[in-house]
Amino acid sequence: MIRRIAAIVITDVRIRFRRPSTAVLFLLLSACAYLWIPAPSTGRTLLQINGQRALYNSGAIGMGTASLATIFVGLVGFYVISNALRRDVQTRCGFVLASTGMRSGEYLFGKFAGNLAFLITFIGGFMATSMIMQLVRGEAPVEPFVFIEQYAVLVVPGMVVVSALAILFESIPWLSGRFGDVVYFFVWVMSIGLVASMSEPKSSQPIGWIGILDISGTGYLFQSLRDVLHTNEVSIGASPFDASKGVFVFGGLPVSLRLLLPRIGTCLLAAPLLGIASLFFHRFDPARVRVTEKAKRNWIGRINALAKPFARVMFALTPSAGPASFARFVLLDAMLTISAMPIAFIAIVVFNVVSLVVPIRSLAEGVLPMMFAALAITIAEVACREVRAGTTALVRSAPQLRERFVAWKLAATLLIGGAYFAVAIVRVAIARPSMLVPLVVAIVFVSAAATMLGVVSANPKAFIVTFLLFWYIAMNDKGATPALDYAGLNGAATPFVVAAYAGMAIAFAASAAAFHAFTLRRA
Amino acid sequence: MLSIESVSKRFRSGNYGVQNVSLNVSGVIGLLGPNGAGKTTLMQMIATITKPTSGRILFDGVDVVAKPDALRRRLGYLPQDFGVYDNLTAFEFLSYFAALKGVGGKERVRELLESVNLHTVANRAVGGFSGGMKQRLGIAQALIGNPDLVIVDEPTAGLDPEERVRFRNLLAEVGSGKLVILSTHVVSDVEAVANEIAIMKGGSLLAMGTPEELLRRAEGSVWAGVMASTELDAMRARLTISSAVRKADGVHLRVVSGDQPFAGAMAAEPTLEDAYLCTMTGRAA
Repeated sequence: MIRRIAAIVITDVRIRFRRPSTAVLFLLLSACAYLWIPAPSTGRTLLQINGQRALYNSGAIGMGTASLATIFVGLVGFYVISNALRRDVQTRCGFVLASTGMRSGEYLFGKFAGNLAFLITFIGGFMATSMIMQLVRGEAPVEPFVFIEQYAVLVVPGMVVVSALAILFESIPWLSGRFGDVVYFFVWVMSIGLVASMSEPKSSQPIGWIGILDISGTGYLFQSLRDVLHTNEVSIGASPFDASKGVFVFGGLPVSLRLLLPRIGTCLLAAPLLGIASLFFHRFDPARVRVTEKAKRNWIGRINALAKPFARVMFALTPSAGPASFARFVLLDAMLTISAMPIAFIAIVVFNVVSLVVPIRSLAEGVLPMMFAALAITIAEVACREVRAGTTALVRSAPQLRERFVAWKLAATLLIGGAYFAVAIVRVAIARPSMLVPLVVAIVFVSAAATMLGVVSANPKAFIVTFLLFWYIAMNDKGATPALDYAGLNGAATPFVVAAYAGMAIAFAASAAAFHAFTLRRA
Repeated sequence: MLSIESVSKRFRSGNYGVQNVSLNVSGVIGLLGPNGAGKTTLMQMIATITKPTSGRILFDGVDVVAKPDALRRRLGYLPQDFGVYDNLTAFEFLSYFAALKGVGGKERVRELLESVNLHTVANRAVGGFSGGMKQRLGIAQALIGNPDLVIVDEPTAGLDPEERVRFRNLLAEVGSGKLVILSTHVVSDVEAVANEIAIMKGGSLLAMGTPEELLRRAEGSVWAGVMASTELDAMRARLTISSAVRKADGVHLRVVSGDQPFAGAMAAEPTLEDAYLCTMTGRAA
């Protein structure tokens, strides 16, 4: 049994570490750490209290990079590892596995352990680069055990639970697709919100049993910082500081039994999660896998099924004959997107009707953000659909599409965006003209981002996760930071901000085109 | 000995994938039938991947539906459209399946790679392999546990003629002394290796027998003759044509028919392809 589990773990880790995207992700995370822990000469620092910065020792950098790692594990890690079962279904290796004497429990545990081993190795590598960064900053000697301690208490419980959650989501039919990706995102941010609200600075009580649900470690982090630093005025990550106030020494988060017990409890959550997963696991039974495919159409699928006739009518209205013009290809791709996700058709109709009737303020602050989220989910797969369906060669053999692939995809996403926002644009143009340009720029920005991430990653998850994270932060910011008011919904976006988003949209499109040209040269 | 007794598989949609199939397997059996005949579903039930809705599957007298592990320890299975983990080398890929099947030793892996002629590319990523090489790797994983029963589902689909012949020879070589179930819709794949052939259609077993028996049943139902190429389209609509070869004197046709299909047609000795068509069209004796 151990040999079988070990084989699954080693194989999964090998497969993941040999993907170029893993190296890209590692470099990106390391770059984030570099920005998160700036050189003091920039006037910013990792950790400061009332303007006094912490010395860059292993306690401070270990805690700082571990807190970044925990965000990464929760938000990106899940999406990176949640294909362990799907890979075996797609390659049909799962059929072979099912015909061996291996128990389903062994398989699921092996996949869970594979997920965990990958995350531990990945984050372990990140920890090592963080140590190197401490050496570069040169303010204190590196203490590896302090690093390990900080990572162990902050990140490990998150890695354990996320690894189990990925298996659970893959095992439950209606959570194993894009709907599950979106559900996970909201579950994750809500769990952070729940723990954060339970560990409010005003509350003198420790988090208690709710700490078990502190998967991200956020509650533990803030409570420990309060315990050690005796203040609520702490900021972490690239914050400005007053150089005249000198430095203080932070030895890292304390590790006491009272604080550790909930963290251990969090790790134990993996057991019931895997238990539930085993109840749903299909063991590659074709009848159940087929049912799984159908079951993806539960309530959301039923709405999809209801909307299908309308979406088909729309598709049927698309002229099927005529010259192979670029405009026609764009229209066809947009229609194909809606046919593939008929619920988008209902969303477009509903949002346009709502845009017509609600007061302009409600439109800006309530409806438009929802429309952006719906648009993002609808267009996430447009630019990577061919790669995922294996129809790249087919599409490239069509006139113009080989070279103009990025333009085609961008135009199709813009067309879908136009369909979502048609009425809203007209209403904004009439009732609040100052918001028109930011709104249009935001639609272009979202479309360009979806196209770029779809082309580069060949996976809709990259865009969904990145955009929803950005969307969530922007929603909660409520215009406090002009740079986050991407569509001018809160009236905070300055002309410079709008121009910056337009510039980013152009940069995204150009990057996608450059990447596509590069892949064509390699092909 | 593998016995399949009145096995049916009914899907939730109400459709039958396999309906009331009974057969005994010894030696190499070829499962022939068009797409959707139920071959894959039958093989998946035998491979214990999916359970029959009714009926029993006995392997050496043990009901494998109730006790699947009794068969799994002695089974090698190559599913249809078998894929690979692109980033692994052939050696790693095979070692993985060896570990899962509880087979120890790198030596066995090397030995199998050699037997399927992949030893020279053992350390290359399998993502770069041709379709034929992937299939050979697939058969290697099926054989790694030295199984008593080997199930291979459409193993030659997508292979070029050369790879197809090589694969057939490989299967004939490794199949000696084992029970082998091979499914295909290409008659030539089974005629060289199978000592029994089962023909399926619409989830049911239409016929089963040795190639000689199937050929005998088709005797008197196969006709050969030459006709003008201009008449070919009309003939196609009317007759079951086994083969049509254009030559200088016209089109040489082989036709499956109960009586003389056209003037000048002569009774011909049936091939296995003809026998298969006879069974499919219900003209076999």
